[in-house]
Amino acid sequence: MLTGYIDGLGLVFQLGTLLAIAGGTFLGIIMGVLPGLTSAMAIALLLPVTFGMPPVMGIGMLLGTLCGAGASGSIPAILLNIPGTPSSVATTFDGFPMAQKGEAGRALGLAIVASFFGGVASMVVLSLLAPPIAEFALRFGAAEYFSLSIFGLVIIASVAGKSLLKGLIAGLIGFFCSTIGTDPIAGVDRFTFGQLSLLTGINLLPALIGLFAVSQVLKDAFEYDPSNKLQNSPHKVDIARPRFIETLRNWRALLVGIVSGSVVGPVPGAGGSIASLVAYDQARRFSKTPEKFGKGHGAGIVSVESANNALLGGALIPTLALGIPGEAATAVLLGGLMIQGVTPGPMLFESQSGIIYGIFLAYLVANFFMLIIMCLGIKLFVRVLLVPRKQLISAIIVFCFIGVYGVDGDVFNLYIMLAFGLLGYFLNRYGFGTAPVILGLILGPIAESNLRRGLQTFGGDWTPFFTRPISVTFLVIACGLLALTLWQNYRTRQQDAAPDAA
Amino acid sequence: MKKLALSLSVATAMMASAGAFAEYPEQNIDMIVPFSAGGGNDTFVRALQPLLEEKLDTNLVIRNISGGGGAVGLTRAQASDSDGYTLAAASNALLTLEALGNVDFTYEDFDFVAKILEEPYVIAVGEDSEYADLDAMVEAAKEGTSVQVGVSGVGSSAHIAAVAFADTAEVDFNFIPYPGGSETISAAMGGHVDAVVLGGAELRSALESGRLKALGMSYAERSESLPDVPTFQEEGYNLSLTVWRGIAGPDGLPEEAKEAWVNAIKEIVDEGSFEETASNLGLDIVPLYGDELEAFIAESAEVMKDSAGDLAAK
Repeated sequence: MLTGYIDGLGLVFQLGTLLAIAGGTFLGIIMGVLPGLTSAMAIALLLPVTFGMPPVMGIGMLLGTLCGAGASGSIPAILLNIPGTPSSVATTFDGFPMAQKGEAGRALGLAIVASFFGGVASMVVLSLLAPPIAEFALRFGAAEYFSLSIFGLVIIASVAGKSLLKGLIAGLIGFFCSTIGTDPIAGVDRFTFGQLSLLTGINLLPALIGLFAVSQVLKDAFEYDPSNKLQNSPHKVDIARPRFIETLRNWRALLVGIVSGSVVGPVPGAGGSIASLVAYDQARRFSKTPEKFGKGHGAGIVSVESANNALLGGALIPTLALGIPGEAATAVLLGGLMIQGVTPGPMLFESQSGIIYGIFLAYLVANFFMLIIMCLGIKLFVRVLLVPRKQLISAIIVFCFIGVYGVDGDVFNLYIMLAFGLLGYFLNRYGFGTAPVILGLILGPIAESNLRRGLQTFGGDWTPFFTRPISVTFLVIACGLLALTLWQNYRTRQQDAAPDAA
Repeated sequence: MKKLALSLSVATAMMASAGAFAEYPEQNIDMIVPFSAGGGNDTFVRALQPLLEEKLDTNLVIRNISGGGGAVGLTRAQASDSDGYTLAAASNALLTLEALGNVDFTYEDFDFVAKILEEPYVIAVGEDSEYADLDAMVEAAKEGTSVQVGVSGVGSSAHIAAVAFADTAEVDFNFIPYPGGSETISAAMGGHVDAVVLGGAELRSALESGRLKALGMSYAERSESLPDVPTFQEEGYNLSLTVWRGIAGPDGLPEEAKEAWVNAIKEIVDEGSFEETASNLGLDIVPLYGDELEAFIAESAEVMKDSAGDLAAK
């Protein structure tokens, strides 16, 4: 193993390879910042460039892109309340309030350092434990996926804001929207009204951008008052620098983030989008000051961002150890690996070529480049807030259109974005919140298709959902958390009521 | 003045002579990939992109227009001008979409330029499976055991191929659709389904690592990429199908455009510069052009239609 790492070092520490990783990271950061442009797209664009390169150089470049995009998604989430990907939805919960308080620099500083720690930790997990974790992920069958999604749904209670009922309603709206499209098991069209673009259902990205970005723009536009000078003046901005010490002081949140990202991330198809939400939810439960979450609390950002980059390492586990990519970005990466002649699988870890160690080290190096580039850029990023609101929202809406059109080159996605923008505006206005809708959209298909797939495999018998160990564990935890939430809600209400009575 | 006139005439002559054998392409060519980045169609086009750009001496602009399992992108490609500047990465999906009645086009609305790559459909089982060969699996199903067969995507070409196999073997399998190839493979590795039907390329790493073992594949003859796997026909099931990938455009493409593409692809195939990439991806280079290609497409469309009819009836 040691000789493997020495060989790997030789492969990574060459000028060309380092430059390729740095270039990939830089491109990833840019793609992550722009709403709608995803790391999957960035990697696909780079694929042809990497063909001529030696494996570690080419793969290092792609890993850099993955790492950069994973970290920089926090920037629009914090500054503008626009999560570029589902996994940075939870970054907006505390990041945006912090930016509004004039602490955008602090929020970004925390996010960058937490991303870095998350990425490095996941690399360590990846290099030491990839094969056993991959085996564990394989034990997820239909029943386990279903229970995992139920576990995820409990988080709705956590992100629901003030009213649990309104949060659930918003979650159900998301759930309903997820039933649009071809039925995942029977293949029948549902609610498509003959619209080809709806056959594969509502695309997550346009919905996400609509719910968060467009709704925010609408709100700003409706509330805009030309006579109000304060509104048109730029935001306050604090000193922007990386916050190492404050991140480490939030060690609980950091640890929760890393663990959630590394454990939930490797589950193919489900992990990517919910790992960061799980992290946020758990960080709040483990926190001594849960009431501060959602109002601009550093621990919230640390938990989400460390989970975000830890889950990238997590998602690489089944990709490298089994050749099973968890989501789009690792799927494109897998294509890149295969073209390079690197066949993923247990053999990759046993082979003597040093390539796998080169890949680990390249990912580690990519995290350092990410840290350096983001630290250099942080002062530039916060300047976005110095742009007057009026100009800023016009620029945002342009980027939304470009990004969403770019996803599939399908104009219909723009209509979806606008529809969800309107929906989001009203949901926010009447206190329902938009995060539960996204959760419903993400978890709905996982819950539905796996329930039905499970019933089909078990021949109509529903007991395996409660007898399979992993499945029942998730269900029990979900019930426990739900009970805890209800009890806590009851307590706070009583505490609120008590002073009035006295 | 004279000099200018001379250089002008020389220039015109050069342009004319260049035009005589290479008018097409004069501008960038849009290549619609009807799936999102990372799918089999996307990877194959991107792998060919640098080689094609060199041979055609123009830029290929790859546009991922996904949605509707390829329906949106292919509909767009079919409706675009047939000037040879908008082409699409075509595959079996084009035929299955038609067979399932999800789209307004038929394969006859397309002009097929070339078929480049093929891979077999492979039936594979987990490493500890009780089924040693196809017969054992078919026997079990005949005796009433519910044999769970995972397929990638409801109504996908692999799903239809799986139905076609079940029809040929005259048995019913319990088909379990998964959203994509990777979910299907992980279900088989984890023992959540008994078998899977997938394209050979997707299964490549799982088969190489021994986590899954192939029982049979759908080529008419054994393939170089899977030399130890018997064909369905060897095992006594009269069915041969292939997953193919190629280039198509809207009906009525100009002859010179088709010719330029066919020549470019022929050169790439002859030079062998694509061979290693293809074999790394688990694909076989089996080029086909012109009339033979048309006959091949028509035949595949027929098989797909029959099986899709059965799928819809169930």
